[in-house]
Order: sequence, then structure tokens, then C-alpha cells
Amino acid sequence: MSETFVEITGLKKSFGPLEVLKNIDLKVDRGDVVCIIGPSGSGKSTLLRCVNLLEEPNAGKIVVNDVELTDPDVDIDSARTKIGMVFQGFNLFSHLNVLANLTVAQRKVLKRSEEESRRVALHNLERVGLSEKAHAMPAQLSGGQQQRVAIARALSMDPDVMLFDEPTSALDPELVGDVLGVMRQLADEGMTMLVVTHEMQFAREVADKVIFMDGGYIVEEGPAAEVIGNPQEERTREFLARVLDPTHHGPSDPV
Amino acid sequence: MAVSKRKRAEYIRYAQYGLLIVIALVVAFLADWGQIRAAFFNVDIAKSMFPSVITVALKNTIIYTALGFAFGLALGLVLALMKLSSVAPYRWIATVYIEFFRGVPALLVFIGIYYGVPIAFQMQFPPLTTVMLALGGVGAAYMAETIRAGIQAVPKGQVEAARSLGMSQGRAMITIVIPQAFRIILPPLTNELILLTKDSSLIYILGLFREQYELTKFGRETLSRSPSLTPILIAGLCYLIITLPLGYLSRYLERRGTGGARKKVSA
Ligand SMILES: Nc1ncnc2c1ncn2[C@@H]1O[C@H](COP(=O)(O)OP(=O)(O)OP(=O)(O)O)[C@@H](O)[C@H]1O
Ligand SMILES: [Mg+2]
Repeated sequence: MSETFVEITGLKKSFGPLEVLKNIDLKVDRGDVVCIIGPSGSGKSTLLRCVNLLEEPNAGKIVVNDVELTDPDVDIDSARTKIGMVFQGFNLFSHLNVLANLTVAQRKVLKRSEEESRRVALHNLERVGLSEKAHAMPAQLSGGQQQRVAIARALSMDPDVMLFDEPTSALDPELVGDVLGVMRQLADEGMTMLVVTHEMQFAREVADKVIFMDGGYIVEEGPAAEVIGNPQEERTREFLARVLDPTHHGPSDPV
Repeated sequence: MAVSKRKRAEYIRYAQYGLLIVIALVVAFLADWGQIRAAFFNVDIAKSMFPSVITVALKNTIIYTALGFAFGLALGLVLALMKLSSVAPYRWIATVYIEFFRGVPALLVFIGIYYGVPIAFQMQFPPLTTVMLALGGVGAAYMAETIRAGIQAVPKGQVEAARSLGMSQGRAMITIVIPQAFRIILPPLTNELILLTKDSSLIYILGLFREQYELTKFGRETLSRSPSLTPILIAGLCYLIITLPLGYLSRYLERRGTGGARKKVSA
């Protein structure tokens, strides 16, 4: 018996005259991994950022774990502690070392004791395989390490759901695997995840559901094998052809 | 015959050296070195200024500057936040304050505070408080703009990360943005401190007691009792004791940068 954990209905978002999300309905079950794919500018990041209200929707309803985030009276700060987010650019706090990056919000927001926050932080650093980097500064780490620290930072708040916005796009190819490995492990542990990604192999192997977005709409959604392996929509097929086999398309094709 | 470009550049450089030497010689011939020695390098007068030039005057200059800087920094931060506020009247007030105190000579401000505040509030502040208000009030106007630029130079992703972890707007500002902003603006802030050190000379108009003299007042007071300008030279050298290391510090901080993800302040 699956239980809806994230429910988005009738979501619309514009930036000035630009309509970026045009009517999005989406359900994510508890423990599921949903991968969002689609061409650049199709609104993937905007959709993800609406889920924790980093972007204020113009219309529609967003419910996470039975809390309606779009309710004007909701305590959004408290709701966000349960929604972890990982950014393309890592966004580690550059003035704090790794340990402090992981403890600062635990201390200031969750009001955990220094001892407890430290314990939680070290546990999560271990999960991402970076225990020995606790006292390094972000600038001393590789991109892949920074992103794994960012994941550990989000996990330290004990979130119920994790949002990933192209977590590996800014990484050198040889560092991508480490980050995807951590995400795969999280998925295996039963974390509910929404992942914007261009890593089709990851989507195919880990996602319970794949969503293809284009032009502010969800064009196609379904099990990974269906959407990636046997797409029904022409636009999905075109996109996948470009992404999966980029060398067969000229530079004029926008990817 | 045409002269090559490189040759021409060489001649011009020689001409510049030549000009420098001529000016130096003319100054050296025209100046009366005996008089200069007598005017600026009177050893007895210099000796008579110690130790109080250090234990009183230099010490007071440092205290006044430190007080002014501390108050100026706090007020400057408030003004910077007001300038970035979404509430328009806050922005207006901050803009008026900053433009006024940057546009008016510090001396006038000091006079205004010294005579104006007691009338306006029917009370006389202790001298140190007046010094703090005057120096800090002017310093704040300059520092506010520096701090605002620093806050805006912190990458937006830092705030987004903080908010996504559940921090409120204010909490993110205090814990994440302001500490990073101050790292970015440390070099220009050090320069503000140098300017403030020199501005502290203007508080002579506050009519201080002997034990409250700072360097300039102390130098002028010694000058009035001596036939030589030596006190001015000594006072000037004492300023350099403060300002030269600060200048080096500022350049060092600038060179070292602050590491990590950040944009240039000018961006
Ligand atoms: N803050 C903003 N202000 C104005 N326009 C924006 C803003 N954020 C996004 N947009 C625009 O909205 C559209 C969708 O952006 P979004 O970042 O959601 O796309 P995306 O699918 O994530 O693309 P990419 O794969 O390149 O990350 C783009 O045209 C973008 O320029
Ligand atoms: Mg994006």
C-alpha cells in the first residue's frame, strides 16, 4: 500500500511575463525516487524549487507529508527542515568548515545541543564517505567531495524527502560516480527523492518514476523503463535521442 | 633620419630622470637646511614630548578611533541593512543619512554634535560619548556603503542553501551572509579605519582637557610653547605608527583574498 508523500496540483509559476510552469500535477509516494528530465529551460529547476517554496508559486497547491506548504499560514521555515535540498553548485557555506556546515542549522534551527549536532554530523559524513574531511574548508575539497558534503548537510536535518537539482552537472566526469553512488545508497535506504538529472543510466536504474518535462508541462511520466526505454511522445523521443546519443546530432541541436 | 620607437621611449625615460634631478637640485639649493633642521628636528623639544606623546596622545588617538570605529561599524551595518530593506522609508532614511554625512565636512558634523546635541536633548554627554557619536556618526556613512556592497557580493546560493535548511531570512543574514560579507570587505574596512584615525584629529574642537588630548591637539599645544615645528613632526610620525601597519594589513588581506566561493565586490 503506497502512500502519497508529495502532492502537487495545478501548479503555475511565472517570472514576469514568462510562464515557466503551466499546470503541473505530480504525486510522489513515500520512499519513491522520481527523476525529472527534460531540455534546458523547460522548468525542471523551477518545479523543484517550488516544492520547498524557494520559488513562490502563482497558483496551485503543494502538500508535503500532509502539510500544505502553499497555505499562507504555514510555518515554512519549520517545513523546510524536513525537505533537504542539494544544488547544482553545492552552495556550501564558504566561511565554515565541513563540520560547521553540517552543524550550523542543526544548532540554530533545530536547537540541538553541540554534542548531538556533532554526532549527527559525523554520522552523516561517514555515510557519504568523508569522515576524514570534517575539519577541511569547502575550498579545499574537490567538487565531488563538496557535493557529498552538501548531501550530508541536508541529511543532518533528518529530512523526509530530498530534492536534487542536477547534483552532478557541475562535476568532472570522474567525480560523478561518487555522488551518484551516495544517492543510490540513499534510495536503497528508502529515502523519498526528487531528482532533476541528465544521468539517464542513474534514472533507468534507480528511479521508480521518470517525468519528462517540456515547455512548462509534464509531457510524459511513468516507470523508468517505459519513459526512457519506450517513450510514447515524439518530444520525449527527440530529447532522449539527443541526450543518449549526442554525437549523432549537429551542434545546431540545442541539448 | 627617423628615430625608432624603442629609441624614442628610451630618450623620454632619460628626460624624466633628468627632470627629477633638476627639481631635486633646485629644491636643495633654495632650501635653507639650517632653518629646516632648527624648525623640524629640535632634539630637546622632541625629548620633552616623551613619554606623554605616547602614553597620553597616541593612546587617546587609538581610544577615540576605536570607539568611533566600533560605533560606526554598528551604525553602518544598520544603515546597510536599511538600504537593502524592502520597506521603502527605511531605504530613504538610510540614503539621506549616508548622502548627508558623506557630503558634509566632518568638522562641521563635530561642531553640530558638540553644540547641537546638548541643546536638542537638554543634556551634556561625557566627552568620550561625544567623540564616539561624532567620529562613528561620520564613519558609519562611509562604512554603510562598503557593507552594503559586501552583503550584495555574497552569492545568492548561500542564502538559498541557508533557507532550504530552515533558516529564517534574518537568521540566514546573521549566520551566513554577514560573516561572509565582512570577510569580503575586510580590506576596504581597514582603509576606513585609517581615514577615521586621521579624522580623529578633528575632535580638538570639542575642547578637551590636557589628559584627553589626542595627537594633533597635543602637537599643536606643544607647538604653542616652543619655537620649533618639531612637535608636528613627532605627532605626524606617531600617526604613521598606526596607519602604516594598517595599510600593510589592508593590502595583505586584499592579496590573500578570502578563499571559497565569492564574487568580486565590484561585480
Ligand atoms: N529567477 C528567475 N527570474 C526570471 N526568469 C527565470 C528565473 N528562474 C528561471 N527563469 C527562467 O525560467 C525558465 C525555466 O528555468 P529553469 O531553471 O526552471 O529551467 P531548467 O529546466 O531547470 O533548465 P536547465 O536544464 O538549464 O537547468 C528559463 O527560461 C529561465 O530563464
Ligand atoms: Mg535547472
